[in-house]
Amino acid sequence: MKTDTFWRHATLWPALVLFALLTVLPLIKLFALSFNDVEWINREAVWDWVGLANYARLPEDNLLRAGALNTLIFAVVAVALQMLIGFVLALLTVQVVRGRVFYRTVFILPILVPGIIIGAIWKLMYSYDFGVLNSFLAWFGLTPQDWLGNPDLALLSVIIVDVWHWTPFCFLLLLAGLESLPDDIFEAARIDGATRWQQLRYITLPLMMPTIAVTFVFRMILAFKVFDEIYLLTGGGPGTSTEVISFTIYRRFFTEDQTGYGAAMSIAVIAVIAAGIIAATRATAGKGAKA
Amino acid sequence: MIYNRKLTRALAASVLAFAASGVSAAESPITIVINQSPWFPGFQAVVEKYEEDTGNTVELDVNPFAGSLEKQRTAVRADQSPYDVLIMNAGFFSEFYSGGFMQPLTDIDPAFSLSEDIYTFDDSVCWNAEDKKISCDGGGLLSVPVNPNVLILHYRQDLYEEAGLSVPTTWDELYDNAKALQTDARYGISQRGQRGTFDVTYDVFPYIWSHGGGIVDQQDDGSYRVTINSPGTLAGMETYLKLAADVGHPSTAGQTQTNVIQNMATGRAVHINSVPAPGLFDDESKSMVVGQVAYAPPPGTSEFPSATPLGHWLAGVPKNISDDHKQAALAFLTWFQSDEAQRAYAEAGSMPVSRAVLESDMADQPEYRWMKALAAALPNARLTFTFPEATQVLAVTELRFNQAIGGEMPLNQALNTAAEEITKVMQDAGYDLPAPEMLP
Repeated sequence: MKTDTFWRHATLWPALVLFALLTVLPLIKLFALSFNDVEWINREAVWDWVGLANYARLPEDNLLRAGALNTLIFAVVAVALQMLIGFVLALLTVQVVRGRVFYRTVFILPILVPGIIIGAIWKLMYSYDFGVLNSFLAWFGLTPQDWLGNPDLALLSVIIVDVWHWTPFCFLLLLAGLESLPDDIFEAARIDGATRWQQLRYITLPLMMPTIAVTFVFRMILAFKVFDEIYLLTGGGPGTSTEVISFTIYRRFFTEDQTGYGAAMSIAVIAVIAAGIIAATRATAGKGAKA
Repeated sequence: MIYNRKLTRALAASVLAFAASGVSAAESPITIVINQSPWFPGFQAVVEKYEEDTGNTVELDVNPFAGSLEKQRTAVRADQSPYDVLIMNAGFFSEFYSGGFMQPLTDIDPAFSLSEDIYTFDDSVCWNAEDKKISCDGGGLLSVPVNPNVLILHYRQDLYEEAGLSVPTTWDELYDNAKALQTDARYGISQRGQRGTFDVTYDVFPYIWSHGGGIVDQQDDGSYRVTINSPGTLAGMETYLKLAADVGHPSTAGQTQTNVIQNMATGRAVHINSVPAPGLFDDESKSMVVGQVAYAPPPGTSEFPSATPLGHWLAGVPKNISDDHKQAALAFLTWFQSDEAQRAYAEAGSMPVSRAVLESDMADQPEYRWMKALAAALPNARLTFTFPEATQVLAVTELRFNQAIGGEMPLNQALNTAAEEITKVMQDAGYDLPAPEMLP
C-alpha cells in the first residue's frame, strides 16, 4: 500500500520539477529583480538595490491606474456578456437533438482564429474610412463612427471583439456542463408540473453553479491578461482609454526597459489576481447543488 | 558501379553549376535585424543585389518597430548575438552606444571609413565614450546610416495644378490650401496622431520646431532643458490641432503611419507629412494616385524655417559576435556605401543616404522627383533624442500628445503634465534639471 502511494507521488515529480524550473524559478528571479534597478554599463548588467522603491512608485503611476481601471471594466463587462451569451447559446444548443454537432462547430469557430488574424479582421471592420461597420451605418444614412479613435467608444469596441472571440469558450464549457446534467431530475420536475423557467431557476442553475464558477474564474483570469487584442487594435489608445495592465507592464518592462519597475508591477498584479482567484473560489465554494 | 557513376555525374553537375554562377561567397552568412517600414522593400531589394553580386548570404529578420528594438536589446545583452547587423532607429541608438554594445567599425578593420558622400546626420554615427556624447570629434565610428528617414510634405500635384495653388512654405499656407482642396470625400490633411512607440511624437516635431518649441533641448552641450511646455511648443501644437480640427481626418488621434499613407494612396488625403515611400505611390497595384503625388520640405513659419526630425536608421555591428561575422557585416556595410548600391537602393524605391546620389541627375527624372525635396529638407533635419532615457521620455510624449489630440486632456494641461513627467524621468536618471515652469 505504501509502495502504491509512493509511486502515485513519484509520477507527479517530473511535472513538478518542470513546473519549478519553468514557473517558480522565473518568478523568484522576477521577485528579486523587483527590488533592483538595472543599468547596462560596458555590456554588463549592473543591479542597483533600491529596496521597496519600485513598489512605492506603483500608486503614483497614472498609466497603471488607468490600466487597472480599464482592465477591471474590460474584464467584468466582457466576461459578464460572454457568460450570458455563452449560457443562452448552450441552453439553446442542448435542446437540439439532431444537428447539435453542427451548431457546436459553428459557434466555436471564432475561438479557433489566431489573435493576429482577429486583430486584422476587426481593425479593417472598424476602419473609419474603409470599414464595413461605417459602410453599414452610411447605408442607413447614419454618421460614421470613429470606433477605435474615439476615447468614448474605443474600450467598448475592444470589448465587442473580445466577446466575439471568447464567448465560444464559455459556450463550450457550459454546454459540456449542461449535457452532463442528469435527465431524471428534469423528468421528475416536469411530472410535478414545473415550468421551463422554474426548471431553469431551481434545477439547472444550481446544478450548473460549479461549472459556471469554473468558467467564470478561467475567463476572468484570461480577461485580466488581455494583451493581443489591445496591441493589435488600439495600442492602448487613444490616450489611456484602452490601456490595460498587461500592456502597461509590457511598455514599462520591454519598451521603456525599466526592468526592475516592470518586475515590481508584475509581482503586484500577480498578487492581486491570485487574491482575486482565492476570493472567487471561496465565494463560490459550496454554492452549487450537489447532483 | 552504376551508383558510383551517377554520383560522379551529380557531383560534376554541381561543380559546374557552382562555377557557372560566377561568384562564390567570400564572407560568412550574416543576419540583419530590421523593422518593417515603408522603405523596407527597397532595402530588401538591395540586399538581394548584394547577394547576387557577391555570392554572400544575408538573412533579414523583419519585425514591427517595437519588436525590433526588443530583439536588438536582447541580442546585444546575450553572450552571443544572433544578429550581425542591427538596424537602429534615431530615437534609440544612443542606448546601444552608451551601453557599450556596439563594435567600433575601425576596430574590425582599421582601414574602414565612412564614404564622404554618406550623410552623418549630426554625427549620429559616432560615439565619444569618454565624454558620453554623440560626436565624431574624438568619438569612434559605430554605425553606417542606411536610411535618411525624415518627414517631408506629400501633396497632390494634380489638384494643386487644377486649383492653381503654390507649394506651401508655411503652415498658414498649407492650411489655406488644405481648406481649398478638401471635400466631403477628401481630407485636407491626414496626420499621424496615434500613440505608439515613436509615432505621434515624430509627427509633431516639424510643427513644434518651426514655432521655436521642442521637447528636450540643449542635448548637445549636456545641459538639457525641458521645453515641451514652452510657448513655442504650445504654438506648434495649436497649429497641429487647428489643421486636425478644420481640415484633418476626423480620427487623427487614431491614425497610424499606415493609415496616413493609405489615405494618400487611396486619394482620400490632399496632404500628408510622412517619411517618403515613393515606390508605393507610383505603384499601380498599390496606389490610386500614380504620378500625382509631389514632395516638398515640411512647412515652417515666418519666424522659423522648416525643420524635420531625423528618424534615420543606422546599421551597427554588435560586439558579441565572432570575428568572421564582424568582417562579413563590415563587408556588407562597405558595399552598401558604394555609389552603385545607393543608386540601386533609390531605384528600388527607397531613400539613399548618399548625397552624391540625391544630388545626381537621377533627381531630374520624374520617378525620382522626391529626391530634391529630401535634399532640401535634410540640411534642416535635426536629431530628436540623444540620451539613453529616450524610451521613457517617449512613453510620456506619446501619451500626452495623443491625449491632447484626442481631446482627452486640454493642450496646456497635457504639455504641463508631460514637462513634469519628463523632468522626473531625467532627474531620476541623474540629470541636474530644475523644475519646469508651467504654462498658464
